[in-house]
Amino acid sequence: MFVSFLFYLSSALTLAGALGVLFTRNIMYACISLLCSLIGVAGLYVTLGADLVAVTQTMVYVGGVVILMLFAVMLTGGKDFKSRMQVMFNYPDAMGNKWTYGVGIAAALVFLAYSAQLIWKIIQSATKPEVETFKSTVEDIGISLISEHVLAFEISSVLLLGALMGAAIIARPKKIITDGEDS
Amino acid sequence: MIGLAPYLIISLALFCIGLAVMIARKNIVAILLGIELILNAAALNFVAYSKYTAQNLEGHVFSLFIIVVAAAEAAVGLAIVIRFFQNKESIHIDEASVLKN
Repeated sequence: MFVSFLFYLSSALTLAGALGVLFTRNIMYACISLLCSLIGVAGLYVTLGADLVAVTQTMVYVGGVVILMLFAVMLTGGKDFKSRMQVMFNYPDAMGNKWTYGVGIAAALVFLAYSAQLIWKIIQSATKPEVETFKSTVEDIGISLISEHVLAFEISSVLLLGALMGAAIIARPKKIITDGEDS
Repeated sequence: MIGLAPYLIISLALFCIGLAVMIARKNIVAILLGIELILNAAALNFVAYSKYTAQNLEGHVFSLFIIVVAAAEAAVGLAIVIRFFQNKESIHIDEASVLKN
C-alpha cells in the first residue's frame, strides 16, 4: 500500500531529522537535519490528504525558513574562517553541555509520560475510518479563506508586513560614524 | 488505513524533541530550530484531527496560519540574532544577560 509506505518513510525522516537537530554538534548540520524533518512533515501532510498544506510547507519552510536560518548561521560568524569556527565551536559548550542536555531530556520525558496517558485513551477509543478518498482541497480552502476566514487572512497580511518591516529595521547595519562633520 | 493514533504519537515525539532542543541548546539559532519543531508538531496535530474527527477543512486553514506565523517569527527572530551578534560578537545564550539582576 503506497500510503502506508509513504507514512513510514515520512515518519522515519521526521524523527531522524528531529533527533539530528537535537544531537549534532554542528549548527550547519542541525539546519540540514531540520530540513529533513520538515520534508518528512510535508510527506505526512500528503498521507493525510492535505495537498495545499504540504505544498505550502515545502515552499515556505524548506524554501524559505531553512534558507533564512542558514543565512543567519553564516552571517553570525567572524571575519574569517578561523574566527567563525571560534564563534561556533570553540566557545565553551557552544551547543550545550551535559547539564543542559540532562535537564532538557528530563523535561521532555516528563512531558512525554504526562501526555502518553492522554494519547493512550485516544488510542483505546479510536475507530478505524472507512475507505480513504483523496481529493483536492485547494478550491475549498481558497473559498474558505476569503469567505469565513477573511478577517484572519487580512490580519495575517498585516502581521507579515509588520514582521518584514521589523526584521529590516532590527537587522539594518550599524551607522558608520566617521568624523562627526557629516553626522 | 493508518488511523489517528500514529500521527498523534509522531507529533508528540516531535514536540518532545523540540522541547529538549530548546532547553538543551546554548546557541540562539539552535533554539529557534527547536521552536520550529514545536510549531510543526502543533500543525501536524491540527491536520490529523481535521481528517479523522472533524472531517472538514478548518484544521488545514489553521495549519496554514501556523506556517505564516512561524515564518514571521523566524524572520524577526533571526533579525534579532544578527543584531545580537553585532553587539556581542557571539550567539551564545549566556551572553544575553543584560536584564539579569
